[in-house]
Amino acid sequence: MTESLLAVRGLSKHFVSGNETVPVIEKLSFTLGQGQSLALTGRSGSGKSTLLNLLCGLELPDAGTIVLHDRVFEAGGAAARRTVTAWSTLRRQHIGVVFQEANLMPALSLLENVQFRAQLAGRDPANSEDWLTRLGIGELAQRYPDQVSGGQRQRAALAMVFAMEPALILADEPTGSLDRHTSDEVARVLFDLQARHGCSLILGTHDAELAAGCQQRLDLGHLNAV
Amino acid sequence: MKGLPSLFSPTFPALFLPRALLSHYRRHPLQLLALAAMIVIATMLWTGMNHLTSQARASLDQSERAVAQRQQVVRDDGRALVVEDFVSLRLAGVCVMPWLEVTPETGSRLVGIDPLAAHCFGAGTGASQALDQPLDGKPFVDVHAAASISARDSHLYLLTPETTQTTGLPGGYYLKTFSASPDTGELGDSFVLNLEALGVLVLLITALLLRSVYLLGLAQRRDSFALLHRFGVPPGRVQRWLALEILALSLVSVVPGVWLGRWLAAGLGSGFGEALDGLFDIPLYAGQGQGWITPVLVMLAVVVIACLGDLLLLRFRERFSLPLPARAALAIALLAAGLAMAWLAPSLPWVFIAVALVFAGAGWLTPAAIAHLALWRAGRSKAPLARWRFRELAVLVRRLTLPLVALQFALAMVLAVQALVTTFEDTFDRWLGQRLEAAYYIEVPSRTDGHKAAAWLTGQQASAPGLQWHRVIRGKAQLADAENPGGPQVDVLAVAPVGSLVRAWALLEAAVQPWGALASGEGVMINEQLARRQNLGVGDSVQLTLGAQPRALPVLGVYPDYGRPVGEVLLNAATLPDNFDVRFESLSVTPGELGITQVTSALEQIWGVNELSLRDNGTIRELATGVFDQTFALTRAMTLLTLILAASALLMMGWVFFSARAWYFRLLVVWGMQQREVAGQLLRLALLVTGGIAVLALPLGIWLTWVLVHRINPLAFGWSLPMAVYPVFWLELAVLNLAIGLSIAALMRRQLGRPVVAPVSASALMGGER
Ligand SMILES: Nc1ncnc2c1ncn2[C@@H]1O[C@H](COP(=O)(O)OP(=O)(O)OP(=O)(O)O)[C@@H](O)[C@H]1O
Ligand SMILES: [Mg+2]
Repeated sequence: MTESLLAVRGLSKHFVSGNETVPVIEKLSFTLGQGQSLALTGRSGSGKSTLLNLLCGLELPDAGTIVLHDRVFEAGGAAARRTVTAWSTLRRQHIGVVFQEANLMPALSLLENVQFRAQLAGRDPANSEDWLTRLGIGELAQRYPDQVSGGQRQRAALAMVFAMEPALILADEPTGSLDRHTSDEVARVLFDLQARHGCSLILGTHDAELAAGCQQRLDLGHLNAV
Repeated sequence: MKGLPSLFSPTFPALFLPRALLSHYRRHPLQLLALAAMIVIATMLWTGMNHLTSQARASLDQSERAVAQRQQVVRDDGRALVVEDFVSLRLAGVCVMPWLEVTPETGSRLVGIDPLAAHCFGAGTGASQALDQPLDGKPFVDVHAAASISARDSHLYLLTPETTQTTGLPGGYYLKTFSASPDTGELGDSFVLNLEALGVLVLLITALLLRSVYLLGLAQRRDSFALLHRFGVPPGRVQRWLALEILALSLVSVVPGVWLGRWLAAGLGSGFGEALDGLFDIPLYAGQGQGWITPVLVMLAVVVIACLGDLLLLRFRERFSLPLPARAALAIALLAAGLAMAWLAPSLPWVFIAVALVFAGAGWLTPAAIAHLALWRAGRSKAPLARWRFRELAVLVRRLTLPLVALQFALAMVLAVQALVTTFEDTFDRWLGQRLEAAYYIEVPSRTDGHKAAAWLTGQQASAPGLQWHRVIRGKAQLADAENPGGPQVDVLAVAPVGSLVRAWALLEAAVQPWGALASGEGVMINEQLARRQNLGVGDSVQLTLGAQPRALPVLGVYPDYGRPVGEVLLNAATLPDNFDVRFESLSVTPGELGITQVTSALEQIWGVNELSLRDNGTIRELATGVFDQTFALTRAMTLLTLILAASALLMMGWVFFSARAWYFRLLVVWGMQQREVAGQLLRLALLVTGGIAVLALPLGIWLTWVLVHRINPLAFGWSLPMAVYPVFWLELAVLNLAIGLSIAALMRRQLGRPVVAPVSASALMGGER
């Protein structure tokens, strides 16, 4: 087994709606090796998005520990400010996040979007056009997000993520709004490039076929199962 | 979905649609409230403004008509007139009309007149016209009614037509011009004109704001329109219902708006009335039958045009829709045409058209120009973050076009009004200072000798250091030129000696050593009105008939003379011919070490009277400045209110825009920027927008000031004000804009903190436009 990139121990998260506490994640533990892929599955509302948010620091857990890229994040630590900053740095340089929609800045062209993201991560933006070509949309580089199809937009989002050479990609329903055919195509490039560049991938989806493309699977329907 | 077809069945065709349309406002009651509030406030501002303006105009008109002939009969001994005087004058065959001013214990001043006594004024003269009208309108009441009021103060004047000659009067009386305060008729008109122009601008700004709020609502309902369309409702029917909806809403909101406007006018009106009263000697009479119909109809029209204008013009727009460069070219053409027209306009209406053109051009061009500039800067930026920021700026400006243009107009207006008002204040203050150089003004009683008094004062000069004085003689002269021997009449202001009291006057134009030349009788000075009207300047000469023979006198200088429409010549009184008809004579005295009581007692002795008509500088100036402060505080309040309205509209629209776009700002956080950094970017964006608008409002405001001061005033009244700019006030406005920008950024920052749901589509509605 490869060296572990991510280790989650006893992670819990609940939301408060009204005066009711809704536990979403309870005492979840798992590890993910470098270059490995993990599918998060489960019914709608089972906590896939919540877990992905926890894994990149957009939400903070109530309890548990996350060790990612040699950094340790303890829940409820005194230095909350420092935690937030540390997560920011990690996201900036090492974690690529892909959502179902709206991953691109509307006022920037596809190429400019990729350049922006690469630059933020401290990578050379000169390779941006290559990435778009590798994702099959090189000739659309100058177009704006509203001038291309949904599938092309998701490819651009993937180009953006790969251009930052991430250690971990978090993808939340990346093909959720695409038709079957396009969805398969986008998924194929994603798995292909992920394997070739050796980064890890966590993919939240309720699409069984897509989940099958990953090496591991975590069903949030059954809490704490690996 | 299941219930829809049955609702939509032919049995409910008329009710389904309005219910579907209204359901939007059930879900977004705040939007409806904002729209209604906007209509109410717009109506209130404009109605208030309009109400004040029409009241002021009506008051001015009436009082002007009533006192068209300003001549009165007074007693030689300076005592107050009583009813016996009236009787004896009428018995002697002199046409006089009583004019009884009473200040009741409570309430404002009234004027009692006797219409029957005014018939001898002759048909067609101003006074009789005014008095032929029913007298139930305040402040004119029947003289008997006025006399029966328990008054704090009352004063009887006896007015007489201009045809009355001094020689026709019985002994013991003489003639005097009738004006209780400086004659400021034209100044009043100028004031009303400025108020009116302001009212139009306020209307324009509020229309823009209304439109922006309405269009925002429409945009958010676009999805439901699309749904209705899919259900097979023809778009024409939706539009008709929308028109009906806004009409109903405006009807509901306009009426309270008009009511509030009148309330505002009444509230401000008391101060305003005092201002008018003091400044122009015109009591403001409230409660004039200003109907509700006009303001309601005007505001309805404005709301309908602002909200549905392009619906009505849809066909027109389709046929003539222009590509962006053509539109920019058109805007530039409008702007250029307006600027040229304002410069060259021969008359007032052309200037107003020019102003409209310039505002239309500027309003069209400004957002496009900022967006263009932002895109150009984005194209040149190497740093992706800067590029992103400038692209966002372009989107922001395009999205907030209407409130931004409204803010620009409001800023320009506030700037211009402030400059105008401050210039007015400054200029009048200085002018008044010049005119009131002496500490005391002593009227020379009729049939007494000014020469003797002058001789006495000359005698005192050696022994009393600091004593400054001159005689002032007023009368009329006839202007003549080669073609036209019987030219217009001008006022004559003659002083002697031409000493230090007048030499400090600022001149608009002057020959070399003008005062020395005037003192030695080598020429005359003329006021600005005369110079403009007769196209005269230094070096020209005027043909003046002072006594019998016309004389050609060179113009030595042109002096500013505000608030009076008539032309005036200033000359050395020593050069007046003996047969010059003196209408008024006074002494201006700064007593120095002599002391005023010594002067007055000496003069009383010389003239053989018991009492002198004496006015001191301080009280006159205090009165004048107090009145100006009040008047202009009102104007300022109105413009500031408009500015605040524009600012809050921008704040509201900015908030709506940022809420829709919040996801994309949060994307920066997802990409690893710290919240603090993103907030910093937001701040820079907000400040760029408001700062850009402030910068672009500046030239517009300065230009508007120039138009008011240098084009409208001279064309309307014959005199111009010096053009002054007030950078400190610009700074204040800049700070205000900064505050608006900061508030937008702060509001947005709050949105950043909350979790944002990813938009399901990248539509404009979801904040995804570019
Ligand atoms: N900010 C929040 N406040 C309160 N409750 C929340 C919040 N975010 C998520 N939840 C709740 O947490 C639960 C998990 O939500 P989450 O979005 O993670 O589910 P999901 O598995 O991603 O669902 P889907 O497949 O529909 O995207 C849901 O019940 C949701 O209502
Ligand atoms: Mg989800």
